[in-house]
Amino acid sequence: MTGTADLKEFIAAYLVEAEEHLAVANTQLLAVEGAQKNGSTNPRAVRETFRSLHTIKGLSAMVGVEPVVAIAHRMENFLRDSDRSGGTLAQPAIDALLRGVRAIEQRVAALARGDSAAPPSEELLAALDSLGLVATTAAPAPAAVLDLDPALLAKLAPFEVDQLLRGIAEGQRALRAEFSPSPERAAQGLTINSVRERMAKVADIVRVLPRGVPASPEAPGGLCFVLILLTRSSDELIAEAVGVRGAQFQSVARELPAPAMESELVPSIEAEFDGAEDGKIDTHSRRGVVRVDVSRLDDAMEGLSSLIVTRFRLARAIASLTERGVNTRELSEIMTDNARQLRDLRAAIVRVRMVPVSELLERVPLLVRGLRRATNRSVRLELEGGSAELDKSVSERLFPVIVHLVRNAVDHAIETPDERLRRGKPEEGLLRITCGARTNTRLEITVSDDGRGIDRAAVAKKAGRPSPSDDAGLLDLLCIPGLSTRDIVTTTSGRGMGMEIVKRTIVDELGGELEVHSVVGQGTTFTLRVPLTISIVDAFSFECGEQRFVVPVTMVDEIVEVDANALVKVPANDDDSLTVDILSRRGVAVPMIQLAQVFRLKTAGKGAGKAIVVRRAGSAVAFAVDRMLGQQEVVVRPLNDVLVRAPGVSGATDLGDGRPTLVLDLVALSASLSMVSLGGSAR
Amino acid sequence: MKLHVVFTLTGAEYALPFDSVLQMESYTGATLVPGAPAYVDGIVTVRGMVVPVLDLRTRFGLPRTELTLDTRIVVTESVGRVVALRVDSAREVLKLDVEKHQPAPSIVSERSSGLVNAVHPLGKRLLLLIDLPKLLGENSHDLQPRALPANDGSNKQLPS
Repeated sequence: MTGTADLKEFIAAYLVEAEEHLAVANTQLLAVEGAQKNGSTNPRAVRETFRSLHTIKGLSAMVGVEPVVAIAHRMENFLRDSDRSGGTLAQPAIDALLRGVRAIEQRVAALARGDSAAPPSEELLAALDSLGLVATTAAPAPAAVLDLDPALLAKLAPFEVDQLLRGIAEGQRALRAEFSPSPERAAQGLTINSVRERMAKVADIVRVLPRGVPASPEAPGGLCFVLILLTRSSDELIAEAVGVRGAQFQSVARELPAPAMESELVPSIEAEFDGAEDGKIDTHSRRGVVRVDVSRLDDAMEGLSSLIVTRFRLARAIASLTERGVNTRELSEIMTDNARQLRDLRAAIVRVRMVPVSELLERVPLLVRGLRRATNRSVRLELEGGSAELDKSVSERLFPVIVHLVRNAVDHAIETPDERLRRGKPEEGLLRITCGARTNTRLEITVSDDGRGIDRAAVAKKAGRPSPSDDAGLLDLLCIPGLSTRDIVTTTSGRGMGMEIVKRTIVDELGGELEVHSVVGQGTTFTLRVPLTISIVDAFSFECGEQRFVVPVTMVDEIVEVDANALVKVPANDDDSLTVDILSRRGVAVPMIQLAQVFRLKTAGKGAGKAIVVRRAGSAVAFAVDRMLGQQEVVVRPLNDVLVRAPGVSGATDLGDGRPTLVLDLVALSASLSMVSLGGSAR
Repeated sequence: MKLHVVFTLTGAEYALPFDSVLQMESYTGATLVPGAPAYVDGIVTVRGMVVPVLDLRTRFGLPRTELTLDTRIVVTESVGRVVALRVDSAREVLKLDVEKHQPAPSIVSERSSGLVNAVHPLGKRLLLLIDLPKLLGENSHDLQPRALPANDGSNKQLPS
């Protein structure tokens, strides 16, 4: 077969597309289930699910993944029937469909690994086949009649008619608005896409129908879009939402006497817009959206990084010219412009890489649903996501962590319904995930449950260490690598499983913070704070033991002068080679450690130096350094090789001298020290 | 016939397949990485990449030397890692007939912990062939971050 190589290329694209549609199918099925639980229906979601599976089937057939075709085909058939009969799904059908999606996901994952897709089990196929036989055809009898132009009415799907009638019954107004695209409107940013977006904020768009009209000044393209809406908003609000002022746009929103809709003549050319155009426009328009391989963005970022390094070199060269008495005023002005341009360029690239946090959270409901069934726990999920955006690479690393915490919470923390009732708690456990930008640079995520909480003493006993006195100590324990998990889970009903990995991702990889707050009997909250973007940070540079280092500004609480006379020496344990001094900072005692000693660097005479104060889980630690050099933006390159992975070192940067400078994570360093030595002397 | 890069360590000549070498550079020292193993000199930037420098003398248990004008780093790539090897000098690229590789005498392979896996006689010279995947692969399973040397009191991590 000669087409193998080509097919491989297709497969890569196929996998991406398939995953996207699978995600849509999952989300929409859950929406159907949610509606079904509330006693209502969500015909639109049924239709979206149908579309996704239809697409998946088509794509799979194209690349010859027969097992997926077999599953998707059955699901598609059933969904098409459901759509036609009003878009309601019964719980058993939803379960079977979710199983089907899961089965497709497994096969897509297998293909992504380079394996082949296993044929579907007979049992699954039979389950999907049998769905069609029990499909409900009990569409509610229409309580009203839509008086809509028959040609338009004919184009509405049964579920859309149903949605309109329900909406009217609920007291919403059914409206139709028209929009004719024209070059002038496009120039003002008014396209059918932007109108759709704005309209969606004030009304439910039931359907957008394109139709041909005689070309006129109003509709120069001979094309008009009819938007069928359900809304509680006023006409003015709708007119405003679609950006219409005065005569620019006539008859935006005409109220239709409910339940009757106004009738209108349809020009005969309408037929031309049937079919193809219809489908294209109704798929949530993705026009103007480019899907880009992240590695291309990384290339752009890499290019920018070298630009910034070059800028450092330029700045140094100019500084040395200035030292030699050369007039560099004009050069300096150019450098100022250049700095601004680089900043703008950087911001632009960073923006491209940003994805909404909602993308991170939208898969959680499915996860919880699965866990609910697997563990027989009754769990209510509360999700609270803001409008924050974060870098794709951060989001990718964060998701497994959230999965982990959610799994632990449902699996171990939340009690069985019986046990909860015995303890006087509501039968249904609560899992709450919040997600919001805390500052411009940090995202805070909390995962909390109202389960049993973690018994510190029991965890400590298991780990063979003294019982921690606070939550920070508990977290240190939980994150001990290889802490036996199964026993802990049973004896303390707490966690511990893989917390080490959570910590490594959040703290070591992302340079974020991890906190836990747990009250026995009441529940546990994990708080993660991660940077929204990685790679370029604002940093302090300093010198210590004749070596230069940088530390991100966000990590630093304060930089203080060290008055050698005001230091209090802490009695050193015999076996403890680190000297710890106590620095008095606004009346609070802060332990101070010589960074040079921690890193075993040559120390430049014991003089009055500076100390960098960082804060870890509420308590401050100061690191004494020789001198501060300055503050600048640096490009952080990760240090991935195992040979140079060390606690407290988060990456390397180039300050313009062509040599790498280490980027320190003093927060992580203080954490690793407290495990090793501070724990003995400071507690 | 295959191209090889030839370099020296304490007077002995070693060879690496040319296609596993990214480049050779003169070397004026690396940035120390606290907590890294004793045979790691630190990190350098090569072609925009941050690369660890492995001191081959220390790795092979040979005495350390000061930097000289001849000191080179040979930047190698194998098992998905890029690592620079610090060597005494590196000046030659030779075509070697792979058929003429001979198994390393047991004393050599033992002394080098198997890192020298073959020898190649070339006139009066004897080239030692390094098993690069083994040299670089032996650490790759060790993914645990090392604890800081705060308690042991030993000072072998960093040259002073």
